[in-house]
Formats: sequence, C-alpha cells, structure tokens
Amino acid sequence: MKGVVFNLLEDAVVREHGLLAWDGLLEMAGLEGAYTSLGSYPDSEVIRLVDAASAALGLSAGEVLRWFGRSAIPLLRERYEMFFTSHQSAQSFVASINDIIHPEVRKLYAGAGCPHFHFHDLDDGRIGLAYQSPRRMCRLAHGFIEGAADHYGDQVEIEHLSCMLDGHPVCRIALDWSR
Amino acid sequence: MKQEPIPLPSDLAATVERLERLVQREREGRLQAEAIAERGLRELYESQVRLALLQRITDCANRSNDFSEAIGEVLKEICEHMNWAFGTAYRVERSGKAVSCVAWFTSEPARLFPLVEASRERTFPSGEGLPGRVLRDVHPHWIDEAELATDFCRRVAAASCGIRAVCGFPVMIGDEIVCVLEFFARTAMMDKDAILLTVTQAATQLARVIERERARAALVHDALHDAMTGLPNRTLLDERARAAFERLPESREGLAVLVIDLDGFKAINDKYGHHAGDIVLIETARRFDSVIAACMGGRRRGDEHAWRATLARVGGDEFVIVLDSLPNPGIAMDLAGALIDALKGAILVGDEYVNVGLSIGIAHSAAGYGSVEQLRQDADLAMYEAKSGGHGGVVTFSEALGNERRNRMALESELRDAIREKQFTLFYQPIFALGALQDQGERLRGFEALIRWNHPERGLVEPGRFIPAAEAGGLIVFIGDWVLRQACNAMARLHRDLTERGMSAGELPYISINIAPQQFLQPTFSAHVRRVLLETGVPPELVRLEVTEGVAIIDPDQTRQVLEQVRSWGVKTSLDDFGTGYSSLSYLQNLPFDTLKIDRSFIASMDDPKSRKIIRAILDLASNLNLSVVAEGIETREQGASLREMGCEYGQGFHLGRPLDEASAFALVWPDGAANAA
Repeated sequence: MKGVVFNLLEDAVVREHGLLAWDGLLEMAGLEGAYTSLGSYPDSEVIRLVDAASAALGLSAGEVLRWFGRSAIPLLRERYEMFFTSHQSAQSFVASINDIIHPEVRKLYAGAGCPHFHFHDLDDGRIGLAYQSPRRMCRLAHGFIEGAADHYGDQVEIEHLSCMLDGHPVCRIALDWSR
Repeated sequence: MKQEPIPLPSDLAATVERLERLVQREREGRLQAEAIAERGLRELYESQVRLALLQRITDCANRSNDFSEAIGEVLKEICEHMNWAFGTAYRVERSGKAVSCVAWFTSEPARLFPLVEASRERTFPSGEGLPGRVLRDVHPHWIDEAELATDFCRRVAAASCGIRAVCGFPVMIGDEIVCVLEFFARTAMMDKDAILLTVTQAATQLARVIERERARAALVHDALHDAMTGLPNRTLLDERARAAFERLPESREGLAVLVIDLDGFKAINDKYGHHAGDIVLIETARRFDSVIAACMGGRRRGDEHAWRATLARVGGDEFVIVLDSLPNPGIAMDLAGALIDALKGAILVGDEYVNVGLSIGIAHSAAGYGSVEQLRQDADLAMYEAKSGGHGGVVTFSEALGNERRNRMALESELRDAIREKQFTLFYQPIFALGALQDQGERLRGFEALIRWNHPERGLVEPGRFIPAAEAGGLIVFIGDWVLRQACNAMARLHRDLTERGMSAGELPYISINIAPQQFLQPTFSAHVRRVLLETGVPPELVRLEVTEGVAIIDPDQTRQVLEQVRSWGVKTSLDDFGTGYSSLSYLQNLPFDTLKIDRSFIASMDDPKSRKIIRAILDLASNLNLSVVAEGIETREQGASLREMGCEYGQGFHLGRPLDEASAFALVWPDGAANAA
C-alpha cells in the first residue's frame, strides 16, 4: 500500500479526532507509524489500523473504510487539485479514475498497483462498477464516491449488488446519479 | 551582547500546545518535501514518456517516405500516449481546403464509429469546423466540454461517443500549413502546455515526411517529364503505353500510337538558334495539348466510349501521342488532321514568324501485336514514310509497309553475314574510247568495278537488289570500303602484269569505282582513299571515283573539299547518272569533276529526238567545261554509232562489253596472243 493512503488516513483521523487520536490508533495497532507518501508499506498495516479504528469507534471495518473514503476526498483535493478542477461533475470525476487518476498515480509511484474499476451501463439505467481486489476495499471506493458527490454537490445512490466479503468473486456496485 | 534565555512554557498544557505546534510544523515540512519530490518524479516520468513517444514518432518518420503510411502510426502513438479516444488528420490541398486523409486512429472503433463516420472523407474550407479554424488561424485550437455542446459542427456525433474535449494542431513546413491534426478525448484535456509541446514536435516530424514526399514527387515528376515543354517524357510514355497495351481486350484493338516529327525544325534551329527552336517546341506542345483537349472535350463525362490520350515529347523535335480505349480508329486520323491544322498558323519567334510542318505516322493495335514497342516501331515507319514524301502529312501503317520493312530487315541481316563471310565479288565492265572515226573501232580505256553478291543460295545478286538496303542500314560504308580496296588491288595487279609485258604507262586501263554518298561524306573518306592508294600502289591518275549528285545535295561544301583533296593526289572524279535527279548546273560549275556519265535512260531512248537533244546539250556543256563524257548503257551498235557521231568520247554497255569476272574482264586488255596464253 502506498504511503499516501496512510497519510490520508492520518489526516482524516487527526482532522476529526485530534492529533493524539492518530497516535492512539497506532499504539492500538502496534505500529511505528512513520509513513511518507513516497514510500510503500505492507497492506496488513492498513488493515490493522482499520481494525483498531473499528474497535475504538464501535463501527464495522466497512463503515470505517467508507468514512475514510468520504473524508479523504477533500484532503485529496488539497493535494491534487488538478484532478478535480477538470471535471464538472462527480460522475465525470469518478468515471475518469481508471483513465486519468491511476496513470497519474503510477507516474509518481513506479510500480503502484492500482485497482481497476470496470464501469458499465446497467439495464435499469444505473452505472455499474465492478471491482476486484485482493484487498477487498469496496467500502473505501463507496466512500470515495460519496466524497466526490459531496465535493461537486451531486447526489448519488450507491448499492452493493455483490461483494467479495460475502464470498462473491467480484464486488459489484450500482451508482445512481439521476437523483 | 547579553544572552536572553529562550522562553519555555511554565505548565504542562502550554508544553503540549507547543509540542502540537511542533508536530504540525513537521507535518507541513514533510508534506512540502513530498510535494516537491512528487513534482520532480512526475516531471521526470512525463519527460521520459514524451521522449520515448517522440523517439517512436521520429523513427516512424525516418522510416517512411509516404505521409499516408506515417500518419496512421503517428495518430496511434499520440492517441495512446495521451489516452485520447480518436485522432484524425486532414491534408491541406491546393484549393486551400483541409481534406480528410482518411487516416485515423481509435482504440475503440465500435464506440467511436459515429465520429469516425462524421470525420472521414470530410472537407473543411478555411474557417469552417475545427480543422478550418486551425487552417485559418494557423495555430492550435482547443474545444472544451462547454463549447463542444454548442459550437462544434460534429457535436451530435461527438456527444454520442462521449467526447468531452477536442483539439486541432497545424503541421507546418516553414510558413505553410500542410496538414491539420485533430484529436478527441473523452476526458478533459488538462495540461495544455505538455500537449502542445508533444504534438508540436510530432507535427515537426510529420512535416519532414511531407517534405520528403514532395521532394520525391518533384524528382519523380522531373524524371518523367520533359523539362522544356512539361509534357511526359519517353519513360512516362513507355510506362503508360505498356499499361494501356496490357489493358487491351483479346482482340488487341483500341490503342493507337501517333509518332509526330516536325518538318523544317532543324532549319529554324540553324537559322535562328536553339532558343528559337525551344520556343517552337513549347508552342507546338501547347497547340497539340489544346487540340487533344478539344478533341476529347466533345465527349460527355461517363460516356462509355471515353478514350484517353498521352502526349509526350520523346526526342528533339519528336512527339508521340498514345490513344487508349479508342471506340473507333478514325479518331486517330481526325486528331492527326487537327494537329496538322493547328500548326498551319505561323509561330512567332522574336520578331519573325516561322512555319513548321508535321509528318505523322499512325499505327493501330491489332491481333498480331505482341508488345506496344512493335506498335511504336510501325508508327515510326509510317512517320518516315510520311516524311519521305517530302511534304509531311499523315501515313497510317499498313501490312504492305510492314512487309517491306520485314524484307529489308531480313536482307540487312543477310548482308551483315555477307560482309562477315566475304560473299561479295567484283565484276568489271569495260569502258571504251568510241573512236573519232567509225573504222577505228573501239579501244578499251578502263573498267567500271561493279559489285555482285555471291549469295550462297541465290547465286550472283545484282547491286540494285541489295545496295538500297545496305544504304538504309548503314552497311554501305563497309561494303563501299571493301569495293574501293578490292578494285584498287585488282587494278594494281593488272598494271603490274601489263607493265611487265611491256605495256606503256599511257596505255594502262583506269578503274572507275562507285562511291555511295554515305561513304563519300564520312569525315575520314579522303584519308581512307589516300591509304588505299599507298597500300595498293595503284597509280592515282588511273583511279576514278564516281559519285552521284546525291552527295552534293546533302553537303555541297564537304563534297567540294573531298573532291579537291582526292584530285590533288591525281585521282579523277566522275559525276555519275548525269541528267537524272536535280542536274543542277551549279554543281557542275562549283564541283571539280573530270568526267560526266550520261545516264543510261537517255541512251535507251535515243530514238526519241528529245533525248538526242538532251544528249547533245550535255555533250556541249561538257565540252565547254572541259569535262570528258562517258555514255552508259550502250546496248546496240546503232546507239554506239550515233554517240560517236555526236562526239561522245567514251562509252560502256552490253553492246561493247558486259560486266565480267576479274579474269575474263582483264583478259580483254591483253594483246591477242597473250590473252590466249593467259
């Protein structure tokens, strides 16, 4: 996992719960916690931090990830403004994730393994988003989409049609931007 | 200076506050350091990728001489690099419009189909559409999502393909815009500076390909066209003629070749200089071109009987027209007539009007032809036939013309064998002094050497059957040289024998040798004569070179020089066949001859008083000019007697002595006893 994810999580925690909360979380997870965006760290460390937050806040790991995703968008906006200004809507921003944002991430972090989101039209007019990742972080994606909607002032309804956490081979999310 | 202690917090809360500020500063510092590092990494990455892209584009441009080949690859590279959905290009044509190259790239053809369809085979005038705007302003144009929906002529297609941004770039050669590149993206185009940098460099490489293509086209054009008239040259003509011949139906009908030669062109060149000749050629080409255009203009577009014409300048003053897909052969003759009419009007050269005529040979393709070259040769032959008439005009090749040529070519080939295998032999016809008085009888004075071809199958062949072919084929020079040397050799031997037997030098017979015009006018002819005289040892005053008026007509100055030179060595000169041809008295006046030979036709018709008058006039003339006269073709005793009475000194003919082989002829010289002994 790229260090920037840890940095974003730290920022989100500090912003909401204060500087010491992050240190507490690290202590609970048993981690040293010196992360820089330029480095890469084991995936397990993120999972341990999420689990620690889950225990501390009394939320499910999925709920923590969703919160983190949604909170991360304004932070990303501060760091990477250009990804946001070129879009007029959250839908456009989300749709560009594979084509623009991931290549950009790879420019900075050689070898970054980005998840691929497969967008497609669903029969009922909604947008389908299929996602397959060994990290099983579909809830983080859910939060990112909500955060994007917040940023552009759009409404989106998100439904998980299937989830790898439930033993499905792929996570499938339906997005309804028509609200 | 007194050191103040650094103020420290007094209580714990203040300490925590300070530590938090400290952490915050550290965080800010780290973020800034990360941002700086990230910016550097991004720039490094982008420049590496851009360099790799430009390297690929440059490689492609270096590989390719053909824009249409390079453009597809360049569009692909740029689209893939930029992650753009669709790229296409427009060539700027001479009309000043941007015309689709029908070259495009998209990684998703099915998805982009509406836009591909809306763009391919499109033409944009200046100012119209994105390509037209780039063309007009000669700088890149960008269309973003907002403008796309309102102000883009292909917006419906673009919208259906999910396009969000479009850009267009000019490809420049110097100040000239030669091409417009157009790219469509399904996302916004963000870093315009980077895009501009990349695409501009790619455009520079594309411009190189176009420049090379143009240079090559110019070379090819120069290689295939006549620089003076701008008409196709022989190479292009041959190429098109061959292609047209290949396209002929089984009947091989429908193709005609016109070979056109200007009559009187050389005279214009000689008189007014080459510049004048050039003006005539250019004007001729222009008139031919408009005649052809007018002839073709009569037909409607899409007419199934459409025919094509290629006019080419293939040599100095020689033009060729190949007519292709002719619905009827009469068109070629009509066109030839129109060409002749077109040159009836004089051409203005400087302050003078000059006229040229045309000799045109036409050959039509037919079943017998195996190649267009044969057709061209037949048209050539027909042109020479037209020219040989002296007044130009049109001759269409016919079977008879062809047979004549085939026979002559076969004969020429046999003659080459004959020269190589020494199949020629000389016969000698005695020439007699006719004697002042009838009872004196004729006294042998010399011989005329006459060539015979000892053909392995046909036996002895008379010169009239092969000399014209030898002259046409340029072989006469070899044959003539052989005759000259052979005759001098034989005569030298005879003189040696006769002198040994006690004959006085004054009584020795002379040898008269026919020299063909081509042979006579060779620059080395007189030197050759000199060498033969030295090598054979024949007395020069006993050698007579017979030439016809033909030499004087071709080159009077050269003729006089050669005659004077050979006469300076003592060789006699004789004007053969006098009375036929031009018989210009000025030749007699200007050219140094010793002897006139009255043509046999006057002797044959001596019964006609007119002929007798002519003979008398020739004899008077010769007497006044101090020339001796030999009458040829005396076949009867009466003719001989009449000529003697009229004062003709010498004669030859069947009545006096037929041409004989060397031994038989020379036996005539011996006194009776010696001849018998021999």
